[in-house]
Amino acid sequence: MQVTIENLTKKFGDVIGAENLSLDIKDGEFVAFLGPSGCGKTTTLLMLAGIYKPTSGTIRFGDTVVNRLSPRERNIGMVFQSYALYPHMTVYKNIGYPLKLKNMQKKEIDERVNAVANTMGIGDLLDRRPGQLSGGQQQRVALGRALVKEPDILLFDEPLSNLDARLRLTMRGEIKHLQHDLGITSIYVTHDQIEAMTMADRIAVMSGGHLQAFDTPEALYDRPKTLFVAGFVGNPPMNFINVEVSASNGHFVATNGNMSLDLSKERGEKPATAGNSVVMGIRPEDIQIAPDGTVPAEVFVVEPLGRENLVDVRIDGESILLLADTKADHKRGDSVKLKFNMNKAQFFDSKTGKSLLWA
Amino acid sequence: MTVTDNESQGIIHVPTLIIALKNGLLVVVIFSLLALILQGILKPLVASLQVVETVTTTLSLILILVLPYIAYIMSGSAVRELVKTSIPQALLTAVIATIVLFSIISVGHYLLNLGIFAPTSSIQMTVVDTDEGVLVESVVEGGAADIAEVKVGDVITAIRRDPVDRATLMARVAQSEVDSPLRLRMIRDGEEIQVTVRTVLATSSDASALFPGLIMALGVTLITIIWPGQFTPYVILLAILSPLFLGYLWLIIATFSTRTQGIIPLDGEGNIGGFTLSNWDFLFGKDIVGLNVSIWQVTLNSLIIAVSMMLIVLVVSSMAAYALSRMHFPGRKAFLSFTLVLHGFPAVTLLIPIFFVLANLGRTPVIGEIVGFNKPIGIALVMVAFQLPLGVWLMKGFFDGIPWDIERSAMIDGASRWRVYWEILLPQIRPGLLALGIFAFLGGWNAFLIPQTYSTGAGMVNLPVFLNQLISETAPVNWNQIAAVGLFQLVPVFILFIFAQEYLLNIYAGGTKGFS
Amino acid sequence: MEKKAPDSRRNILRANLTAYGFLAPAGILVIIFFLIPVLLIIYLSMTNLATTNFTTNVSQMEFVGLENYAILLRDQFAGKIFFNTVFYVLVTLAIFNVSLALIVSLLTMHIPRRAGFAFRAIWILPRITTATVYIMLWRRLAVEAPYGIINQFNTLLNQPTYNYLDARPWEFVIMANGFIGVSFGMIIFTSAIESIPKDLMNASLVDGSTIMQRIRFIIMPLLRWPLLFVVTYQTLSLLTSFEQILLLTNGGPGLYDTEVWSLTAYHRALSNYFGNAQWGYGSAFAVVLVIIGVVLAVIYMRVFRFNELVAEPKIEVL
Ligand SMILES: Nc1ncnc2c1ncn2[C@@H]1O[C@H](COP(=O)(O)OP(=O)(O)O)[C@@H](O)[C@H]1O
Ligand SMILES: [Mg+2]
Repeated sequence: MQVTIENLTKKFGDVIGAENLSLDIKDGEFVAFLGPSGCGKTTTLLMLAGIYKPTSGTIRFGDTVVNRLSPRERNIGMVFQSYALYPHMTVYKNIGYPLKLKNMQKKEIDERVNAVANTMGIGDLLDRRPGQLSGGQQQRVALGRALVKEPDILLFDEPLSNLDARLRLTMRGEIKHLQHDLGITSIYVTHDQIEAMTMADRIAVMSGGHLQAFDTPEALYDRPKTLFVAGFVGNPPMNFINVEVSASNGHFVATNGNMSLDLSKERGEKPATAGNSVVMGIRPEDIQIAPDGTVPAEVFVVEPLGRENLVDVRIDGESILLLADTKADHKRGDSVKLKFNMNKAQFFDSKTGKSLLWA
Repeated sequence: MTVTDNESQGIIHVPTLIIALKNGLLVVVIFSLLALILQGILKPLVASLQVVETVTTTLSLILILVLPYIAYIMSGSAVRELVKTSIPQALLTAVIATIVLFSIISVGHYLLNLGIFAPTSSIQMTVVDTDEGVLVESVVEGGAADIAEVKVGDVITAIRRDPVDRATLMARVAQSEVDSPLRLRMIRDGEEIQVTVRTVLATSSDASALFPGLIMALGVTLITIIWPGQFTPYVILLAILSPLFLGYLWLIIATFSTRTQGIIPLDGEGNIGGFTLSNWDFLFGKDIVGLNVSIWQVTLNSLIIAVSMMLIVLVVSSMAAYALSRMHFPGRKAFLSFTLVLHGFPAVTLLIPIFFVLANLGRTPVIGEIVGFNKPIGIALVMVAFQLPLGVWLMKGFFDGIPWDIERSAMIDGASRWRVYWEILLPQIRPGLLALGIFAFLGGWNAFLIPQTYSTGAGMVNLPVFLNQLISETAPVNWNQIAAVGLFQLVPVFILFIFAQEYLLNIYAGGTKGFS
Repeated sequence: MEKKAPDSRRNILRANLTAYGFLAPAGILVIIFFLIPVLLIIYLSMTNLATTNFTTNVSQMEFVGLENYAILLRDQFAGKIFFNTVFYVLVTLAIFNVSLALIVSLLTMHIPRRAGFAFRAIWILPRITTATVYIMLWRRLAVEAPYGIINQFNTLLNQPTYNYLDARPWEFVIMANGFIGVSFGMIIFTSAIESIPKDLMNASLVDGSTIMQRIRFIIMPLLRWPLLFVVTYQTLSLLTSFEQILLLTNGGPGLYDTEVWSLTAYHRALSNYFGNAQWGYGSAFAVVLVIIGVVLAVIYMRVFRFNELVAEPKIEVL
């Protein structure tokens, strides 16, 4: 089912929940809503579910405007962060409840509940109450309950954030696969960008009730269109340095104090027109500590991450994060030389926050 | 060597003594002042407003009565610390403090005619026990005994026909009201004569009576010094509760005995005993003297009222509370504030107009058959209405506590609000339903005023009304029988109470949830 | 194939009807047994309805304006009854509903939890014993020797005995009601004290404060609101409840000695104490209480942060 959102706005009195959102979600697509807490993700999702009434704007499922349809008429399945299982019902009854509400025959309910339970790997828990289940099992029940009525659209509101890290990893894969196999249009709300990056076909980045970007994970990572997106997507986050980009006879240079970095024509041409109000962004993995580096810096903190080390270095007192090999044994106070991969550098207008490279 | 050291090595510890005296005197002063305010200011003030009362006097008497003991306790507690360092020093300090305080209080008593110097009923003579009887030792000149011409050397044998010794004679005198006649049988010069003495209110100036008082004072102080502090709350709590304990104790004892005096069960001859189960005969179909209603019919009425009230209150208030807690609709705020006002509104003031409402409803066709005056359901509905404000408020609190996601989830699953209420939310506020249910049941089971006011005849008699009829309409009143019926009414409540204490404790605070 | 969205107005109407459906049973009961009676009692107080011209038909009652209130003001006993009520409410409130409740809740918190719980439970007993039985117990405590329990102790101690209901009626009226009233304040105060942050208490213990200092400087200031609540709420309860007095002294022993305002309304209109029920006049007495009740109830709403209690629901559809 295709989902179209047009100029969707929700206000709670003076508080803005979401403002002027427009999105087009294709049939069978897996879309993530990504943004910091309080940015309006849940609000948007609940408008899609029919729990909140939009202040203005339209929501279409397929060709139907559903603004005024009640939740029950929308044929959606939803998984909540709190799981929202009915504590007084067994797992079987929980999963069967949506079917019971459709006045389905007992026999058919039985078949469907068992089928879903087996897919979710909770076939042996059907007689238990939610209180007797672990977090992961509860999550599967919630998922089963959302799936059992064969919804047109699946909504997830931070479904994994109450699970421990390891379980989160497995569930991530399972949900992704399930969605892929069933081909149900899914909207997945999260504040965890790794979740969004690994699971979603496309990610809608939100902030302060506004849509910041809506694109594939790769595009968001490699070609961020705003300063916000560049900073929000990626972990450890992108480094930002104020620079001045200048052009002299076909050569492009970004300078900040003593630091001076050569740029290719593709990267340098447009920023050069913006004068001195340019912010350069460069991801930690695109900076190396190398003997042939050009930028001198001092090691400030070294954080072992396991596979590599996260090193905080200072250039003229400014903090820069980079990833370094664990074998190179850097210590606090070491003087090092940095090499920037300038073909991955991003440039933004510091006033508007817009990318100078990608329109 | 400092002064303090010097003192602390003496046989008494002067700083402690000073604190002990200060504490004691503070109590004396404060209590006396309070008593003075009560007697001198409040009592005349209240009297000037036409209120006929003795409460102010009673309170000031209690203050005066407990004053010495509180003073000794306060001074004793100042010495407690000292016990740890030197016991003899502590004891001596305490004794001296007590004696000083006792003297001060006694002088006060003497000046103000209080305590042992308070005027009591007296016949103004002294007596001793002898083998023949009570020998008159001395007679106050011009006093009550003298006026009745009792002579020294007379031997009193009996008051009327009851033989006496010194103790019973003194007790009879003390208990008789002023100016009541006492007919003494006595032997004078070998002859038996009768003398009638009229008691008078006289102040005893018998200073030897001070001695037991001093012993008491020292006892109180010493107990205070060695008293294990953690027991204090229990003692105070039990003391405050004593009237209740005695009352309920009597209820239980009375139901199993032929008759009682105070809380002592007696048999026909007046000896302690007289255990019987006959008060419980009513359970087995025997009519209770005076009223020919079966107790079981009455119990059934009580049960019907209580159960139907419970059910109606639960359904009606949970429905309203659900809407108020969870739904958007115009006028929600108005409804909520109205509920809150009703919650504090004294419904009993509406007893008079509700009579007319019921009477008029009774005249409407069809409805009148069910809810009119003297109809069980009408009466039950009045009581339901009175419990609604609390019920709605309480239920709303419980609904407010259920996570929104569960209800959202149910609605997405396809449930209507009715089904969400009935199938999803109600099962989750079971503790609340249980609490309100018990509360409503108790209200119905104990209901007295409303059934008494709005029903006539036997049709609607429930246990409390029935009990009241037993008390007011049977003669002679068989109190032991009534106690049994009363206990019979109380037992279900008591069982419920034990089973649901926790819920009930909460509900009595319940209406206040969200206030403070 | 655009499906037409249902008419929004119809949807809103349906949503509201559902809400009003839930409210209807409670609403109807409230209208019949609160709203109509309030209006009716005001009207009744302006009629001269009595046994002699009794009718339940409102339109046939004789309207006399404010005459009943004029009579009330001239009533030679109204003053006494009024001050009786003030005396009764103030004394019971001060001694039992507030002071004793506070003492009991402080004491029960200084003993082990389970014991404290048991004591608090015992205090609820008077509240759940039906008035007839409860008052029977107090009568039994009060009656003359040899049956009375208190008099039995008097006899043992060589003290004079009394029929306390004649000799000390107010004491017993106040005690019987006071013992019921303690539990309310006790529970409110206990939960308020329990909610005082432990850190605060510990800090003061570290500072070396005594129990008295803790009560004075930590507990009492935090009890301001609960105290105000108990006082307002219990004032209203005491003003309007008369069941116990009715059963214990019925206003006696002398003429109106323990008669209170609400009991008068009841006597005049609903019991045959005088052989002639004066509905109109009795209603005038009741209206005075209704007005006090409404005023106090509105004060609660203002004082006890009503607006915090009406957070908007988080589901906006039907
Ligand atoms: N029912 C509501 N009433 C009032 N404000 C709300 C409500 N729901 C959400 N908000 C506000 O709207 C904003 C967005 O909230 P939400 O959608 O829950 O954020 P997210 O899910 O992205 O963390 C927040 O400022 C929140 O306080
Ligand atoms: Mg959220």
